[in-house]
Amino acid sequence: VLVASQANVIGHVGVQSAPERSTEVDLIRAAQRGDAGAFEQLVRSYDHNVLRMAFNLLRSEEDARDIYQEVFLRVYRNLPKFRFDCSFHTWLYRIVANLCLDQLRKRKVRKEEPASFEIGTGEVDRFQFVPEQRADVDPQRQLMSAEVNTRIQQVLGELTPRERVVFEMRHYQGMRLRAIGESLGVTEEAAKNCLFRATQKMRAALGDFV
Amino acid sequence: MNCHAVQTELSAYLYGELDFASEEALETHLADCAFCQLALAREKAWHTTLNSEYRDVPLDLLSTARQNLRSSLTGESAPKPARASWRNWVGTFGFSPTRWSLQVAAASFLVFVGFAGARLIDSNSLPGASEANGTLAASVLGSSSRVRDIQSNGPNGVRLIVEQIREQEVNGSVEDGAIRQLLLNASRESNDPGIRVDSVEILNSQNGSDVRDALLYSIRHDANAAVRLKALEGLSRFPADRNTRDALKFVLQHDANPGVRSAAIDLLAPSGRTGITPDLANTLVEIMRGSPDDDYVHARCFEVLRTLNTSLDAY
Repeated sequence: VLVASQANVIGHVGVQSAPERSTEVDLIRAAQRGDAGAFEQLVRSYDHNVLRMAFNLLRSEEDARDIYQEVFLRVYRNLPKFRFDCSFHTWLYRIVANLCLDQLRKRKVRKEEPASFEIGTGEVDRFQFVPEQRADVDPQRQLMSAEVNTRIQQVLGELTPRERVVFEMRHYQGMRLRAIGESLGVTEEAAKNCLFRATQKMRAALGDFV
Repeated sequence: MNCHAVQTELSAYLYGELDFASEEALETHLADCAFCQLALAREKAWHTTLNSEYRDVPLDLLSTARQNLRSSLTGESAPKPARASWRNWVGTFGFSPTRWSLQVAAASFLVFVGFAGARLIDSNSLPGASEANGTLAASVLGSSSRVRDIQSNGPNGVRLIVEQIREQEVNGSVEDGAIRQLLLNASRESNDPGIRVDSVEILNSQNGSDVRDALLYSIRHDANAAVRLKALEGLSRFPADRNTRDALKFVLQHDANPGVRSAAIDLLAPSGRTGITPDLANTLVEIMRGSPDDDYVHARCFEVLRTLNTSLDAY
């Protein structure tokens, strides 16, 4: 089954290319009126990043998929109530951050910080995901890389859920501290302090390796 | 700013989160302090190390998540636009509407609509848009529409060119010309890498110069490495084609992704095969000179050239 989004030009498929894309506000308003196509386009603008954030925070395909589903279902149900009081990005990431925080907190309570990665075909050791740029050529470098990777995983696991989420949003998602604060419902200063604690821990843990 | 203060702010500095004055003070200190410069270098190093660890999501996970969401949304009822409760608003004035007052209000409203409508029709001041001539259909307003051009049309009239995006489901064989064209377009134009990968994967089973050209375009221009890798798979069916080999050499020399470069060299110089031209051997030598000693591509180039009993000196 092929679902083709057609503009007036026959043969133009999928999401519109960047310069032709309707503005986000137009899309949101259309989606609020019940336009399924606009909603899908809106989802596709953000879903890759949302899934990546959940996947890297939770380290589980299944959990990341669940978060993705829950996030966009909540967006769908609550979009009519969205009043543009903040940016859509902030609103969306507020949902993502809260769901990920809940999940991380549950894991902390269960003391569950798996040393392995869960993927569709089962569990595998995290070492397998060390980037293999020159693995077969330089085993010493591979070993070092695996060691660094293990250390990174350890220290990320030692961060509090909030530090973990703030660090993810700033370091990997490139969000500004102000936006992070808005998403988490805290001040920019609080987000900065949280990031500071996280970077201190990372620096202490990785200092010997770099 | 002293050393302690500078080193406390190094991450914020790298993230670009310092205000102008703090950044100026920090940079002034850094310019004269070798100790803090070293600390900054270490800070940058662990930031880079962390980036190398970060993983993108597998494309099949994204695809599955989208399918699941689509299924769930099918079962959801359409969200109803939120309406502010006017009763609450009226309540703020300390007035509680009764059944009787509601009926009087409704009757007054209808009378007002009647008068206002009559005045509008009499003065013939309705905008020039007409359903009859089809320039403005109600459906245009209902979906994702964008005004592309506006022209004034008389004192109160306006002529709009509206671009409308509408979704349509198309079912059929991939051999069908129209579907094939849609796939070719999708492989180039879609903003969604998942759709581009899927399009290229389907096209990989098709023959024809249009398919080959689309795959060549993807390996040269697509921003996503997974799409380029998928296109390389398809090009393995055209090993002798000159354009294909030129494009593979281009990838080998210019692609930023080591996985893509590795796939390109495996296609250009498959193990146990002959047919390495002097031109290709020259390219491999150039790549060896330009890539780090422990790079996989470097090692493969060396392996291929060694198989050919070719020495670097020969070139």
